[in-house]
Amino acid sequence: MNETATTLLPELARIVGEAHALVRASSLLVYESDGLPGYQRRPAVAVFPGDRSELVAVMRLLAQEQLPFVARGAGTGLSGGALADGVVLLGLHRMRRILAIDTEARTATVEPGVVNATLTRAAAPYGLHYAPDPSSQTACTIGGNIAENAGGPHCLKYGVTLNHVVRATIVMPSGQVLTLDRGDDGGYDLLGAFVGSEGCFGVVADVTVRLTPDPEGVITLLADFVTVRDAAAATSAIIAAGILPAALELMDQATIQAVEQSIYAAGYPVDAAAVLLIEVDGAAAGLEDDALEVARLCRENGARGVRTAHDPAERATLWQGRKKAFGAMGRVAPHLVVQDAVVPRTKLATLLEEIQAIGAKHRLRVCNVFHAGDGNLHPNIPYDASDPDEAARVHLAMREIMQRCIDAGGTITGEHGVGLDKLPYMEALFTPETLDAMCSLRRVFDPDRRANPGKVVPVHACKEWYGVVRT
Amino acid sequence: MRAVGGVAEVAAVVRDAAAAGRTLRIVGAGRWLDAGHPVRAAATLDLSALAGIHAYTPADLTISVGAATTLAALDEATRAHGQWCPLLPWGDDGGSVGATVATATSGPFAAALGRPRDLVIGLECVDGLGRTVQAGGRVVKNVAGFDLVRTMTGSWGTLGAITALHLRLRARPAVDESYALTADPARDEALHAFVRGPYAPLACVALTPALAGSIGVPATTRWLVRIGGNPGFAAAARSALGALGRAEPVGHECWTALRREAATPARATAWRWDHLSLRLKDAFDPERVLNPGLLGDRT
Repeated sequence: MNETATTLLPELARIVGEAHALVRASSLLVYESDGLPGYQRRPAVAVFPGDRSELVAVMRLLAQEQLPFVARGAGTGLSGGALADGVVLLGLHRMRRILAIDTEARTATVEPGVVNATLTRAAAPYGLHYAPDPSSQTACTIGGNIAENAGGPHCLKYGVTLNHVVRATIVMPSGQVLTLDRGDDGGYDLLGAFVGSEGCFGVVADVTVRLTPDPEGVITLLADFVTVRDAAAATSAIIAAGILPAALELMDQATIQAVEQSIYAAGYPVDAAAVLLIEVDGAAAGLEDDALEVARLCRENGARGVRTAHDPAERATLWQGRKKAFGAMGRVAPHLVVQDAVVPRTKLATLLEEIQAIGAKHRLRVCNVFHAGDGNLHPNIPYDASDPDEAARVHLAMREIMQRCIDAGGTITGEHGVGLDKLPYMEALFTPETLDAMCSLRRVFDPDRRANPGKVVPVHACKEWYGVVRT
Repeated sequence: MRAVGGVAEVAAVVRDAAAAGRTLRIVGAGRWLDAGHPVRAAATLDLSALAGIHAYTPADLTISVGAATTLAALDEATRAHGQWCPLLPWGDDGGSVGATVATATSGPFAAALGRPRDLVIGLECVDGLGRTVQAGGRVVKNVAGFDLVRTMTGSWGTLGAITALHLRLRARPAVDESYALTADPARDEALHAFVRGPYAPLACVALTPALAGSIGVPATTRWLVRIGGNPGFAAAARSALGALGRAEPVGHECWTALRREAATPARATAWRWDHLSLRLKDAFDPERVLNPGLLGDRT
């Protein structure tokens, strides 16, 4: 590929300009990893188109040369999905124009490099916002959100990225430009198939997303518990009672302490075994009643105290602790594995105990900070990758945790994607026939397997690609 | 052909058909037999025996059902726990959950409560190659692998025969009221603002006098409205509705009647057979076994 890179560079530079086609190792360094520490892959060349015509020209050149490529937004992903191993890295962060905001239809049309929070800021004057809010929202891009079908704390009530994408213009790996929609007017839901395809089906050139009206009122509560089991039980009680909070997040003691010792200190009680950060929002009438009911259910399930944020500043502080929790763990150890399994909500308490037991068995510290309302766990293990023994124990513990979540009827990733990181668990979750069907779907979009090769589905699970004759 | 007994048998029937060059028409409750096109099939793949609740933990707000489970049976099972699956599609409740998802049929509650693609969290199907596919899962949030759920939803059984479904449920609102609204057409703009506002109803459907008569609400009714929420929300919504005209309380059964009476047979006469769609069909049903002709002549 290095040879190819050398010959390709002038061609790429001609399309995007010399400043936006990089091949020097020192320039490529920042693209060697994403938001998940522990994986490094060096691209052969990085190219950054500035608009749709440049993107299409680059894609056609890559198609003509039959070269593999990896699309990348802000590189905040947590699955190693945007890493290019000796292939072309196609960075889309320069394509960051908001093309239209339609306040009547409540939609926005944007280029893929628009930052999630930037879109919400642009919509704010119209009383609207973009609902999916991954913790990295101040940096991550809409294009990356679509690739990962990103979630976030507020998707408990408002849904994940899939539920907010109306239409997308994509560039296929072949270089062909297509508009995908949900198939409402008679057609397959090709848009639904595309969202969450982790860059393996093509690249977004522009996308129309739904904007959501800002709620009339928001009430944020912090409930603290002396056991994790009580916090999990309170979560189940709230969901079972039919209240649909905008967000329902759980942080355990290890996380609380990491946050409180960091610059993101939010005033969480450091002696609590767990806190729930709960937000109810919506119409003003009846909102207070929902908040009171949530507080009552927390107390009924053993909460020591339930605190209500009194003003937007206090609310923002409580949320900052949650959204920056991963960053705060950076103080604990140089590396961090971030898991993303989902389990049925009634099994949260049991699973959390099992995860703690697995951590203890392997002499590891597990920090839990997650979307409890969805059952979307994020057991995180800070560790030092330069210690081979510790790294091996982390690997074992993660595999055990994943297997327990699968056995409990859950899944291996709720919002971060499979990427490279969760590839080893796909065969524990899906049958060979299902994996083969996923390969079939990929072939529809990318028959030559050039878009983000080696991610999501283990290649040996694909009969046609792996050379197994179908009987 | 007799009804098949399980997914393994479905897979065997499809594989045999593919090998023999035979075509199959998929039938569940038999409510959506064509989409405006005749299906040219040599045999029937009768899934009507794949009915029943497979798993239901109310506190998880999810349910797993056989594809031939009727909408009425799903509603009855979940109602007992104060929940519902708000698919509530156009058509009658004798229709199957599988067909509702296969045709992506939504109804008057779709805008507020979600459409099939939003409510299905997983499904099992047999594709045209006879592969048994377990798409998605049983949990409410899941991005593992490529999205075969959305691929199959709304594909009219032309990519795979759906045999089981995992669905997201919702709690029924504490207050749930239906109103027949008689209002001056000059108030339509205000009604539009109400529907888009913070006290948005669960559903709001314009009625003609004839339709009003056939579903048992006063013939003067211009809008059939359903509001739901906690008592404080419902009181405010009720008062907002009252400001638009004369809102007369009616029973919820008029929605069942409306969905039945106002349903037009689903049509796929303008199916978009672009390059990508044909490739999708080739990938999942290369032998053209499943529902041939249903979506037009291209397949």
